[in-house]
Amino acid sequence: MKRPDREPLSRHLLITLTLLLVATVAPHILHLQGWIIGFFLASVALRIASMLRPKLLPGRLLLFVLAVMGLANVIVNYPILFSGEAAIALMTSMVGLKLLEIHSRRDLYIVVFIGYFLLATQFLFNQDALMVGYVIVLTITLTGVLLENSRHRPSNHPIKTFGTALALLLQALPIMLVLFIFFPRLSGPIWFLDIFERSGTTGLSDSITMGSISNLVLSSKIAFRVEFKDPPPAPPLRYWRGPVLWETNGKEWTRGQPLSYSNPPQLHTEGPATEYSVTLEPTGRRWVMVLDLPDTIPHQSKVLGDFQVLRREPIHDRLRYSASSRMRYNTGQITPPERAQGLQLPDNITPRIRSLVQGWRSTAINNQDVVNLALGHFRNQEFYYTLRPPIVNDNPVDQFLFESRRGFCEHFATSFTLLMRVAGIPARVVTGYQGGEFNPLGRHLVVRQSDAHAWSEVWLQGSGWVRVDPTAAVAPERIERSFEFDTALGSDLLGAPIRFGNIQLGTLANMLKQLHWGMDAINASWHRWVLGYTEERQSTLMSMLGLDFLKGHRMAFAMVGFATIAVMLLGTTLWHRGRKRVDPVYADYLRFCNKLKRSGLARKDIEGPLDYLKRIEIWRPEIQSEANRITQSYIHLRYGQTNNKNARRLFHQMVQHFRP
Amino acid sequence: MKRLLDEIITKAGDIILGKEQVLRLAITCVLARGHLLIEDLPGVGKTTLAHLLGKLLGMQYQRIQFTSDMLPADIIGVSIYDREQESFHFHPGPIFSQLVLADEINRATPKAQSALLEAMEERQVTTDGETRKLPHPFFVIATQNPSYQIGTFPLPESQLDRFLMRVQIGYPDTASERRLLAGRERREMLESITPCIDMQQLISIQNQVDDIFVSDALLDYCQALLEFSRTSPRFHHGLSPRAGLALLRNARAWALLEGRDKVLPEDIQAVLTATVGHRLHSTSDTGVDEGDQLAHHLLESVPIT
Repeated sequence: MKRPDREPLSRHLLITLTLLLVATVAPHILHLQGWIIGFFLASVALRIASMLRPKLLPGRLLLFVLAVMGLANVIVNYPILFSGEAAIALMTSMVGLKLLEIHSRRDLYIVVFIGYFLLATQFLFNQDALMVGYVIVLTITLTGVLLENSRHRPSNHPIKTFGTALALLLQALPIMLVLFIFFPRLSGPIWFLDIFERSGTTGLSDSITMGSISNLVLSSKIAFRVEFKDPPPAPPLRYWRGPVLWETNGKEWTRGQPLSYSNPPQLHTEGPATEYSVTLEPTGRRWVMVLDLPDTIPHQSKVLGDFQVLRREPIHDRLRYSASSRMRYNTGQITPPERAQGLQLPDNITPRIRSLVQGWRSTAINNQDVVNLALGHFRNQEFYYTLRPPIVNDNPVDQFLFESRRGFCEHFATSFTLLMRVAGIPARVVTGYQGGEFNPLGRHLVVRQSDAHAWSEVWLQGSGWVRVDPTAAVAPERIERSFEFDTALGSDLLGAPIRFGNIQLGTLANMLKQLHWGMDAINASWHRWVLGYTEERQSTLMSMLGLDFLKGHRMAFAMVGFATIAVMLLGTTLWHRGRKRVDPVYADYLRFCNKLKRSGLARKDIEGPLDYLKRIEIWRPEIQSEANRITQSYIHLRYGQTNNKNARRLFHQMVQHFRP
Repeated sequence: MKRLLDEIITKAGDIILGKEQVLRLAITCVLARGHLLIEDLPGVGKTTLAHLLGKLLGMQYQRIQFTSDMLPADIIGVSIYDREQESFHFHPGPIFSQLVLADEINRATPKAQSALLEAMEERQVTTDGETRKLPHPFFVIATQNPSYQIGTFPLPESQLDRFLMRVQIGYPDTASERRLLAGRERREMLESITPCIDMQQLISIQNQVDDIFVSDALLDYCQALLEFSRTSPRFHHGLSPRAGLALLRNARAWALLEGRDKVLPEDIQAVLTATVGHRLHSTSDTGVDEGDQLAHHLLESVPIT
């Protein structure tokens, strides 16, 4: 026997579904191996070709071979088989093959459901507002396909179907909201998510070599967003403090001994504190970015002696925190261990470095003068600020200072720090971010990986630790505004100087910029209100609602209970609605039938009143006359033209008094 | 009225023994102004039933024996050139009759079949550019052999649909058969039958059928039946609205025959198989007519509410 779900499906639907699947898999191109995507696209191509030429559709045997090939493809490309990415790769490959195996409506249902699942996997890689919109649109369209597939005949109204699917999904919105607000949050990252976040992060590390920041700068990924309580500080003051590096071997700078784990010195500050909240993208490290210098620091973190702020755990989830900073400060005295570490020198200081420093020392009155002379040296000599410095040799500082004179911020910062140490001034390298773009639409500052920066701090008697940015001496524009990314990348020449964006933008470019800002503002709110709804915020909300007694498993029980009550309420409403339409005459007749049923003679539900009466007469001749009266009366009321209240009441009474 | 109808049935029951249900259905069909299709094996009394109805209801009738070499002109009539009057003169065929017995209709070719079936639908025939009305009332009783017999052209579905009812007679039960075998020749008995009603009475009874009341509750039941036939996977296609109308019309006539002024679910059930049996097809089309089983399935599946 033919069943409706075994019926062949419409060609339009198949084409739509194929295109939808391609759209579903499309964002995975960024994450999956090329071979997997290739296998999937080949399956899709074969599907499309076989629509034009049905002979091309592979048979069972060939499909089996293809499935084995697909599996092998995944195994070869993903050495760690039990990982999320391998699972997604396998699913992508197999859904492509399933496309070749769609013969009936049932197959199509299956593919649509796999499509839903694949859509959900997108969130493992990207949870931006744009991706959410994309997934929502695809979900509605997939639901539309599901709808069309269950129709007897296709409606051929794609817009209408889309609307119906939307209406269907909108009905799930209240449940979604309730689950979003009340469903217990997991405090740690989901194990699955964790893997992806870690593998995908870029950011500052706890050591730098020459070239490490210029690599970082190539990424336009957002590092963090900041909302200021008051107007944001001027661009030259936007120094975001990250790892502080003390120790060098002449090539690499590292954090050194855990001396800096001491408590911070007492700050002498001037002026008001700047308050702000930061939404930090996951870094996989513990540093919390704060404006130079931090005053009050976020929860669950501590500030070290060199004013680095570290969180208790590495940051694997997007983190939102509030902090405040002081722009004008004095760190006061230096401790002897700090001084010792601030003067540590590698063993590859060349004579010409020493003589350079000696020259400054002989003319300078104090340490401040030495710093100024060194900055002047960078400014006046032929130093170039470039993203593509020449390849470094064994002694990068020497090579940079006297030969190439081309470098990025880390070249300047590390060389300057080293020069200061040679001159006997305690100095250290600070890495972090500098600047950031202000989004006028979202009223927040966007700091990208391309804003990564390195600078120096020197200790001067009377001023404490002072920030000195040698890059600013060479390229003051770097500090004033971000550089034009495209031109920076466009210059392939080694050592080509960076040009900065001060070109007047055209109308179109301006509009694009506006669009860009708008998108960023949406993403920021998305991160803030949706993704940022963490366990902490949930518990705050719960206590605001007076529901803080519902914690953990109690919450789960409460939700199950709530759902049960809701379903029961819905069920009774529907049941009542179904019953309301019952004709009162029929209801009375059913009571009559039930009375007889209890005494042993049930009416079959396909039995008409007269047929039933005949059986009653044979079964219990003594109640014949009464049953006959009731039945005749019922026939008159229900099937005849008589319909007056009195007759109905009489009938009701007869049934009431009927005692079989 | 009921007495009159009962008398017809009693008289008919004397000729065709033990088939009261079939007789009632056949008369119901006449009262509902529909055409009747009798389908069964040769020799179970199809032709006798047709003759009997014509006699009892006092209609002027003609019989057409369908054969495979029959032409439409054999049914409708033909214009022949009259040498004396120097013009064509139309000689009406056997169809110009109040009751037409179309015997073994599926022995004829589709061309001849359609000539009859078109006349049935339009109640008029057109030849040589001239339209001629058929008499009133006009009633066709067609008989056909089961389609699996050799030398038959099964009627297409659209033409089967023009018959308001299809009945199958079946073998008589033992007692009835005994009486049949022991009794007189049926043909002789038919000769001696006198009509119970005349034409005017028949027309007035037919008009009364329209006055039988149909309640909302009954329409609910009727629609539930139609709906079930359209959604249940066992049916290749559902019943058409025309089938629904036919069902109600037959149920009204049946109710009148039962002496009621309103239709009950029992009336629907009584005529259901005969009304929809030839309009239903199973999804597993095996070539064997399963219409009656399907109608029975329909009856068993839809509860009366």
